[in-house]
Amino acid sequence: MPVVAAVACPHTPQLLMRPDTEDRALVLRVHAAYARVKQLLSDARPDAICLIGGDHIEGFFLNAVPAFAVAVGTSVAGHFGPYDYRFPVHESLARAIVEQGIEREFDLLYTQDVPLDYAFYVPLHFAMPAPPVPIVPLYVNVYLPPQPTPRRCYAWGRALRAILDARPERVALVASGGMSHYPGTDRYASPDFEWDRAMLATLTAGRGAETARLTGEELDKAGNVELRTWITLLGAVRDAKAEVLCYEPSWHHGNAMVTWPVR
Amino acid sequence: MNAHYFFPPADAYALNRCLFRLKSEPAYRRRFVADPDAAMTEASLDARRRAALTAFDRDRLVSLGAHPYLVFMAELRLKMERAPAAFEQF
Repeated sequence: MPVVAAVACPHTPQLLMRPDTEDRALVLRVHAAYARVKQLLSDARPDAICLIGGDHIEGFFLNAVPAFAVAVGTSVAGHFGPYDYRFPVHESLARAIVEQGIEREFDLLYTQDVPLDYAFYVPLHFAMPAPPVPIVPLYVNVYLPPQPTPRRCYAWGRALRAILDARPERVALVASGGMSHYPGTDRYASPDFEWDRAMLATLTAGRGAETARLTGEELDKAGNVELRTWITLLGAVRDAKAEVLCYEPSWHHGNAMVTWPVR
Repeated sequence: MNAHYFFPPADAYALNRCLFRLKSEPAYRRRFVADPDAAMTEASLDARRRAALTAFDRDRLVSLGAHPYLVFMAELRLKMERAPAAFEQF
């Protein structure tokens, strides 16, 4: 079956638990864009969501730092403040991705026991389609250098698409991350919105393949280390022209939601 | 320019582990809120890192090898622990 939807979205925890530092109207506008994504995913009638997320040193700490990983348990769970989440994993699809990914020479880590990071459950909180579907969490290392290169992320996305195209399931691809933000650094209050807007123009022009030529240094400088999740998805949708559903720059974060036509 | 997110130095492992637990282990976070000295002793932090964590001085913590993201989220989770009513839930 073909991939039936492709979306990228943010996951900042302040969208779930809003402190008074955050503009409420902006947060609600981002929620409204999530509602569009939820509708779009519901209309696509997926059997599973492959969710490409950048781990926030939650699933993987310094005891083991995989470049790419796949959760292949029966379910995955995560906790944030008063929120407790558990999602079933589409086990046969997850296993096929690991087995065929290795066969295609991507040396994936797999795990049957990993805490779910908010990069995964924040988008699902707002945009899980109705009725809900099982997921396959696909991890990309974005915060612990040395991270995988954009070229490698793009190549993994291409391989992932080839694997999915040969499967019977209807799959929605969701990339979670970005855009510009610098949590924990002295640049937190000055994201690079200009870089974000130039990147969105590149993606809407159908030039997503250019992201494979970015360097890790450029991504770090632009506050876009998490764009590796989008670049992985771009490997799967190649030069499809992106449609921007929202771009809401807050005082610390470029909140972007984007979708691509799939065929 | 140095990277915002740098390779975590090995000698900062205990500090990063402590920040990770503050972020991700509710029981440890509660122990830290109740008795920070005991929680830092449990984490085997040296004197400089104890002082930086006691002050929760981001720049000093990062200069001592703390991962910036861990500092950020440990601080946010401590705030959520101490003042949950300060957050609007959706």
